[in-house]
Amino acid sequence: MFRKISQLFSNIPALCRGDRALIDSWMEQSPTFVLSRTLPLIILGCGSYGLSMGLWQGWEMASYAGLKFPLVVIATLAVNAMINGMLAMVLGSGISMRQSMQFLFTAFAICALILGALSPITIGMAIQGPAAESPDAKFFHSVTLLTHVFMISYAGIVSHSMLLGALRKYATTRKAGMQTFIAWLLGNLFVGAQIGWISRPFFGSPGSPIQFLRDDKFASSFYESIFRSLQNIF
Amino acid sequence: MQPEEPQYQYPPQPESEPVREPQKPYEKSYIEGDNSFSNIINHLLKKPLSVIHTMDDKEDVRWMPILAMTVFALTLFGFIVGSFQGATEQMWLAPMKIVGGVLFSSLICLPSLYIFCCIGGLDKKFSTILGIQSCTMAITSLLLIGFSPVIWLFSSSSDSMSFFGFLCISIWLLCLFMGLKFLTKTGKAFGMSHTRHLYLWAAIFTLVTLQMPTTLRPIIGQSDKILELDEKKFFIQHWADELDEQHVRNRAKTGRPQRGVDQ
Repeated sequence: MFRKISQLFSNIPALCRGDRALIDSWMEQSPTFVLSRTLPLIILGCGSYGLSMGLWQGWEMASYAGLKFPLVVIATLAVNAMINGMLAMVLGSGISMRQSMQFLFTAFAICALILGALSPITIGMAIQGPAAESPDAKFFHSVTLLTHVFMISYAGIVSHSMLLGALRKYATTRKAGMQTFIAWLLGNLFVGAQIGWISRPFFGSPGSPIQFLRDDKFASSFYESIFRSLQNIF
Repeated sequence: MQPEEPQYQYPPQPESEPVREPQKPYEKSYIEGDNSFSNIINHLLKKPLSVIHTMDDKEDVRWMPILAMTVFALTLFGFIVGSFQGATEQMWLAPMKIVGGVLFSSLICLPSLYIFCCIGGLDKKFSTILGIQSCTMAITSLLLIGFSPVIWLFSSSSDSMSFFGFLCISIWLLCLFMGLKFLTKTGKAFGMSHTRHLYLWAAIFTLVTLQMPTTLRPIIGQSDKILELDEKKFFIQHWADELDEQHVRNRAKTGRPQRGVDQ
């Protein structure tokens, strides 16, 4: 048991470097093997980051967010699994459906590592933040929102681009590799944003009740809310 | 004062031609393995030209199973689109309309595809062109199945008909683009001298498939009538009307004064 855990953690430096030999060897392995290496990292990394997101509103919210964030990542992968595999095939990346799934789990494991590494900072930020009832809470809420959006986008883009080199190796042409990479990135961002929207709250607006999921979770989509916000501004 | 040195003018250098890698001669490939459904699907996604070559040269694969696959995929897509407002009659009407609409669009565009291919210098039988179109639609439909979890996610989490309609159209266009890419690739592989005719046909076909849901409406929302064939509308006009209605509905929901009404 202890050996298995130490094996899991010994892969972390190579994974962060986007080590080609490691990724190549994982692509040759079975999906169970890749899942056993990546899923714990996703749960730990995203879980600790989720916890830091909700901590501002107290431990109840922190535990909800810590539980939901890894689930959002896994749900995004599950919803996009089929189309990611098909796009990889159609765009000539030379990657099979199984390999595309393994590639993306690896990408999200790197993303989780980045977020997990950033979580002590965001935990500190949450602890230092003003109370949710204080007059400064609204300002702090906006700052927190922007910080998390920036950090998650950064981790997502960096982790996906780590795999670009490996993806190009499999692709029939350089262009096909790049196209597949962009298609995956856009697809995961598009669906991930909506799943995240359904799973809100993660850090909760000041004054809103602390809940696992909002009552109006299925009332609208993320993109409609963006559109409505833009309409309100203009 | 020193005399000014005459400036030496370099003779113009001959422009060196860019080194081009010699193009690999096009090699025909055929379906490897048996002609089972899963193998055909695999080849359609990975090496679609091999399916066409097998159909054309070996006549091993017929267009009928490919058509059946397309119908099945479109039915599934239609079922998910129809489930937008829950378990209503649209759940069986939408698949019927989508399958019928796509097949009818393909049918009315097939003669023009054949003629455009001939104009482009393609010397193939009508059955081969039929096969090419079947494969184009099969690739499009397979990708639609791939997108169906995404469509389901948005259909269950949004009640805005305009947004959902826009999403479905965008996904349809994306999948169709992939399918039509295969069409132009096939034209080039078969040695068509002018593929620009195929681009024109692709644009016409796209327009036809965009008009078809408007003609067969409602596909997403509910209505007392199964078809609204009395009221003829161009698809852009229909979408503009839908957006206006949605805007009014949103304003009514939020209780704010409607733009252009309370002024």
